[in-house]
Amino acid sequence: MTIVRKIAPYVIAIIASFAAAGIFIALTGANIFQAYETILFTSFRTPNGFVQTLLKFIPLTLQALAFTIPLTAGKFNMGGEGQMIVGAIAASAVGIVGADLPAFILLPLVILAGVAAGALWGLIPAYLLYKFNINEILTSMLLNFVSFQIIDLVATGPWRDPVAGHPTTVQIGQGGFLPMLIKNPPLNAGLILALLVAAAVYLYTSRTTGGYELVATGANPRAAAVFGINVKRMFVFSIVLAGGIAGLSGVIEVAGVQHRLIVGLQHNFLVLGVIIALIARGNNLAVPFVAFFIAILEIGASAMQRTMNVPIEMVFIVEALVLLFVLLSDVVRRR
Amino acid sequence: MESLITFLRLTLLSMVPFVLAAQGTMLGGRAGVFNVAQEGIMLVGASLGFIGSYLAGGSTLVGILAAMLVGGIFGLALAYFTTSLKMNQFVIGLSLLFIGTGLSTLIPKLVIGVTLSQPLIPTLKDLPIPLLSNIPFLGRVLFSHNILVYFSILLSIGLWYFLFRTQLGLELRSVGENPNAADSLGINTSKHRYVTAVLGGMLIGLAGAYLPMVYTGTFTEGMVKGRGWLTIALTFFAGWSPLPVLYGSLFFAGIEVASYRFQAGGIAIPYQYLLMVPYLATILVMMFTFRKTRVPGFLGNNYDREKRSL
Repeated sequence: MTIVRKIAPYVIAIIASFAAAGIFIALTGANIFQAYETILFTSFRTPNGFVQTLLKFIPLTLQALAFTIPLTAGKFNMGGEGQMIVGAIAASAVGIVGADLPAFILLPLVILAGVAAGALWGLIPAYLLYKFNINEILTSMLLNFVSFQIIDLVATGPWRDPVAGHPTTVQIGQGGFLPMLIKNPPLNAGLILALLVAAAVYLYTSRTTGGYELVATGANPRAAAVFGINVKRMFVFSIVLAGGIAGLSGVIEVAGVQHRLIVGLQHNFLVLGVIIALIARGNNLAVPFVAFFIAILEIGASAMQRTMNVPIEMVFIVEALVLLFVLLSDVVRRR
Repeated sequence: MESLITFLRLTLLSMVPFVLAAQGTMLGGRAGVFNVAQEGIMLVGASLGFIGSYLAGGSTLVGILAAMLVGGIFGLALAYFTTSLKMNQFVIGLSLLFIGTGLSTLIPKLVIGVTLSQPLIPTLKDLPIPLLSNIPFLGRVLFSHNILVYFSILLSIGLWYFLFRTQLGLELRSVGENPNAADSLGINTSKHRYVTAVLGGMLIGLAGAYLPMVYTGTFTEGMVKGRGWLTIALTFFAGWSPLPVLYGSLFFAGIEVASYRFQAGGIAIPYQYLLMVPYLATILVMMFTFRKTRVPGFLGNNYDREKRSL
C-alpha cells in the first residue's frame, strides 16, 4: 500500500503533464498519440535507441547527484554545468598533452584530472560561502557563464581541429579512451562509472557516519552545530564532492563519447539534472530511476522532432510540468 | 570626447533591462517573495515581446503588453504557489525558470516555424526631449533615448518615493520584514505579496522584451545570457532599495558596454576574456559587499498565520 501511495503522485503528475503538452502538440497539427508513442517508445524499439538512452542517462544521473548531494546538506549547487565543462577541458588537456602514453597511465590521469578540475571549480563557490558567506546559488550559477568562455577559448586555441567547422579540439590519445562495453552501437564504460558513483553516494549518505552528518546538517544546521558537526565544513565538502561528480560527467563525455572537446557538450544537462534531482525529492536512491525516465523522454523528443517536426522543447515543458505536479502533490498530501 | 559620449549613452541604454528586472525583483522581495526565475521570465518576455510585435505588424506597444502580460502571469503563479500553497520559493522559482526557458523557444517555433533567418521587428525609436536634448554633452548622454530609458529612471525614483515616503510603502516593507507584526496590525499580507509579485513579474517580462526591441530586432535562443542571474546579485548588493538598484544597474551596464567596446576596439585580448568580465566582476563585488548589505528580514519565507511565529 505504501509503495502505491508513493508512486501514485508520480503517475498522476506524468499523465497530467502529458495531457497539458498534448494541447501544444495539437497546435502544431501533429497526431497527438503518435507523438506520445514516439516520446515513450523510441528508446526501446532499436538497440541503437536503447544505447542512446543509456548515453544520456550517464551525464543526467551524475548531474542530478551533483545537485542532490549539496541539497542533502541544505545547499544548492547550480554550477553543475560549469563543473562538467571544466572537467571536460581538463580531461581533454591531459588526453591531448599525454597522447602517446599507454592506456594504463593515461586513462587514470584523464579521469583524475577531470574530477579534480570539477572539484576545484566547485571549491570556488564553496570557499566564497565559507569565507564571505556569499549565497552559493548565485556564484555557482555565474561561474557557468565563465566556463562557457573558457571552453570556447580552449576549443579555438592551439588544439583546435582545423578541419571541424564547429569549435572543437583534436582527438585525445587512444590511451585516454574509456573502454567500450559494446562495440556497435558504441556504449562506453562510463555507464559502470555512473552506476558505481550513484551506488556509492547512496551508501555514503544512508549508511555512514560522514553521510549522516551531511543529512543532519541539512535537516537542522543549528542542532547539528550544537552536536559538534562543523556545519560550514560540511557545506564546503558537499559542494566540492558535487563538483567532482559533475567533473566526472565531463570526463565521460570526452573520454567515452566524443573523444575530443566540443563546444556545447553540456547541452541542457544542468537544467535536466536539477529537474531530476527535484522530482526525486533529493532522494539519492531515486535519482538513477528518474534520470532513466528523463533520458527516455529526451531520446523520444529528438526522434519526435526528426520524424514529426514537433519542436523538442515540447518535452522540456513536459519535464518541467512533471516537476511542478510532483511538487504540488506534496501540498495535496498535506491537506 | 566623442567616444566618452558614446560610452555613456550606451551605458544608459544598456542599463534598462537591469533596472527593470532588478526593480521587479526588489519589489517582490520587499514583501518577502524571492523570485529566482528572472532568467526564464526575461526569456519568455523577450520571446513574446518579439512575437507580439511581429504578429501586430511591428507594433511595439503590443509587444510590450504581451511581454508584461506573460511576466505578470509568471509572477501570479509564483505568488500563488508560495503564498497560498506555501511551497518552497526557490524550488518553485526554478520550476518557473525552466518552464519560461522552454516556452521562450517553443512559442516562436509554433508561431513562425523554423526558418533560416528570423523575421525582424522595428526597434524602439529615440525620443529626444525638446530643448533639454540641445544641451551640449548632457543632451546627447541623458536626453535623447528611447522611452524605456526615461521610464526606468522615473520608475526607480517613483519606487523610492513609494517605499520610503508613503504609508502603503511602509506597510509593504513591514510585510517583508515581519509579517507577523504586520498581520497583527491588520495589514493584508497575502494581498501585498500577490500584488508585488505580479507587478514584479511584469517588470521582469518587460526587461526581457527590451532585448529584441532595442538590441537585436529578433528573438534568439538564450539571448538573456545570464542577465537574469546578474540581476539577483545586483538586487542583493543594492540592499533591496530602488535608488541603489539604479546606480548598480549603471555599473553593470558600464561593464557590459566596456567589454563589448574593447572587443570592437580590436585590442589583442581574445574576446572570450572580455565576455567573462561581467560575471567575474559581479562575484568580486559580492565578496566586498555581501556582508554589509541589508536584506528584508522575511525574504524567501512563507507566512502562515496559523503557525507560531519563528
